[in-house]
Amino acid sequence: MAETTLSQKTLTSRIALVGNPNVGKSTIFNYLTGLNQKIGNYPGVTVDKKTGSVQINGESFEILDLPGTHSLFPNSEDEIIAHRVLNHTQLETRPDHVLMVIDSSQLSRGLFLASQLIDLGVNLAIILNMADLALKNNIDIKSYELFRALGVPILSTDARNQKGLEEVKNLISQRNFSKAPNFIDIQQVVPVEMLAQVKERFALENHYQAYQMIRFGTRDKAVSAENRAWLENLAQSADFDLEEAQLEETKIRYKKITEIVTKALTKKTEPKPKSNLDKVFLHPILGYAVFLGILLLIFQTIFTWASYPMDLIDGLFADISGWASSALPDGPLTRLLSEGVIPGVGGVVIFIPQIALLFGFLAILEDTGYMSRVVFLMDRWMRPFGLHGKSIVPLVSGVACAIPGVMAARNISNWKEKMITILITPLMSCSARLPVYIILIGLTVPDEVVLGFINLQALALLGLYLLGIVGVFGTAFVLKFILKTSEKSFLLSELPPYRIPRWGDVGITMFEKSKTFVMEAGKVILAISIVLWVLASYGPPATMDQIRQEGEARLENVSDEEQIALIEAETSSLLLENSFIGIMGRAIEPAIRPLGYDWKIGIALITSFAAREVFVSTMATIYSIGGDLEDELTIREKLAQQINANTGEKTFNLATSFSLMVFYAFAMQCMSTVAVVKRETKGWKWPLIQTLYMSVLAYVGALITYQILS
Amino acid sequence: MTADTLPLNKSGKILEILPSPLKINLMELGFLPGKKITLQHLAPSGGPMAFRMDETLLALRKSEAALIRVEQI
Repeated sequence: MAETTLSQKTLTSRIALVGNPNVGKSTIFNYLTGLNQKIGNYPGVTVDKKTGSVQINGESFEILDLPGTHSLFPNSEDEIIAHRVLNHTQLETRPDHVLMVIDSSQLSRGLFLASQLIDLGVNLAIILNMADLALKNNIDIKSYELFRALGVPILSTDARNQKGLEEVKNLISQRNFSKAPNFIDIQQVVPVEMLAQVKERFALENHYQAYQMIRFGTRDKAVSAENRAWLENLAQSADFDLEEAQLEETKIRYKKITEIVTKALTKKTEPKPKSNLDKVFLHPILGYAVFLGILLLIFQTIFTWASYPMDLIDGLFADISGWASSALPDGPLTRLLSEGVIPGVGGVVIFIPQIALLFGFLAILEDTGYMSRVVFLMDRWMRPFGLHGKSIVPLVSGVACAIPGVMAARNISNWKEKMITILITPLMSCSARLPVYIILIGLTVPDEVVLGFINLQALALLGLYLLGIVGVFGTAFVLKFILKTSEKSFLLSELPPYRIPRWGDVGITMFEKSKTFVMEAGKVILAISIVLWVLASYGPPATMDQIRQEGEARLENVSDEEQIALIEAETSSLLLENSFIGIMGRAIEPAIRPLGYDWKIGIALITSFAAREVFVSTMATIYSIGGDLEDELTIREKLAQQINANTGEKTFNLATSFSLMVFYAFAMQCMSTVAVVKRETKGWKWPLIQTLYMSVLAYVGALITYQILS
Repeated sequence: MTADTLPLNKSGKILEILPSPLKINLMELGFLPGKKITLQHLAPSGGPMAFRMDETLLALRKSEAALIRVEQI
């Protein structure tokens, strides 16, 4: 077995796809690999490792899609990965060939990276993409001149319009890559003796690889500590200024590139005027209005569109679980399946419509070039809170669902800004809080209109959303002083020309993001649902048996169907009260009494750790409502009659209800979010810290609310 | 003068990039001596600025634009 995989590995050529950000690299990757994509992880970083395979003329090739980078100088996590793979310090991903994509209208910037790749000595071929855009800008590239100057094969494509892509396949299958002569002589910047020493010690192929090692090896954790110390020592003893060398290298490269570009490129010289769209989208006032309008439109669409598939999934899993419990022989295993596993899987799958739609919209906004405009507009308002302009995307997503929001935070390169964004996004009021809010507001806030047009219930709901936003920015502001980083925050981004979105790529993004969520978060969610099910279904055997027997005894003399349903509901309510979760609910009662809750609400708090919306169904079980859970009114009526045994007052009075809503606004009651935060931060540390402070926030907030209102 | 003080819709020729940890990032993007940049958009209240350079529109924070020494043309 081991032998076959080894021989397969040596047979399949691995091709790394490299390029600046926004050059259409992913369109080419998607074209080549289709849905044959795999998303994995590079050790120690949050960058996705995207690989895919393609069959050309019966031969299989592995394509590695490297994150977009401007140079081989690693500035962000993304660029570190590109740097490592291409410098071969990440050995298991060492590519055989490198295919570089250049945006034809950004020739100089692309050639900068290309020239570095040439000096590294990789087997290279270049794709000049976006030929259509270059043509629109009256740019004409003589690719033969380029080929002569660089010495590597060059192809022209227009990936958006599917032009020239067959040739890319041919190029790959013929392995039409070549090692070109050095572009610049790195000895101009670094003493040759130093290069020779490093080259020998690390068994490198050429001087440029040695230079990369001298410059960045000391910061690369893939290099052993001993070697890092040695490198540090080398630069120090030679009294050599590495940063100055890097600037010098950049100057020399650009000088030569400018010469080449002057020869190879003809263009109209008049400067491009402002685009009409930017006059509106980047307008100091109109720009924000348009952004708000687009947000409203997206949410409106998500709430209306996602609700259909979500209802469908909900019903489907209820049916499957009903079928399982009736078709399989009764027993603990069947119940685990029908009450634990199937609803658990359903609880994962139910998020897919929202995640897919949200990522679809984000992909469209990104692909059209609009998203970078939003970052431009919002950066100023995010920075006082330790956030980046890019943080707006996760926060906005958080209103629908925190999961895609947390996943979107990886686009932020600065560690501190990314962490704050991930830590605060779940405080936005997501759609799962809505059912809880609606029931509790319905219970306590009169459906009245004040001041002629303000509905009190709507006002209460708005207040809860605002509370979430205050929580988000308040927490961010505190975290800004706690988290430390030496990385400098910068914006420095391109505002790309507006384009029609590539629908195929949007579809693939939706599919891949949903798949990642199901695969990665699904495992954790499933595990926790099973634990919660066991805790809710089992209790001290003696008590549980007694309750069951009493229930059966009461049923014996009853024939009226309504009576039977009532007794069954009361029995299951008693069972839940005496289960392990019930015992836990009673155990935490002293802690939650100051918030105005009794132990029954305590049970709901524990079960809704899995997901907030479970609150409603748990309440229904505890108060033995039975029958149709969908009927919100029955739940509301039942809840309205409950009397708190501690106070003798109504359980769901104004103070308790608002205290509960504040609790739900702040508490981390969503294991999917916990699982995704764990995935994005590569460990349990941050999700645990996050759960802890959100719980503290929820507790204190609820305590204050109850004490003021009661 | 530095690029952050360019008036809106005016152009400047880059003279040098001032020393800073971001110098290399700016040069990588093509901010090089001799290049012409035009300030096309300003976000309100001291927010980012967008410069047109050749075919690209590039967004910079004010503090980043202050690293680019220009002469107005």
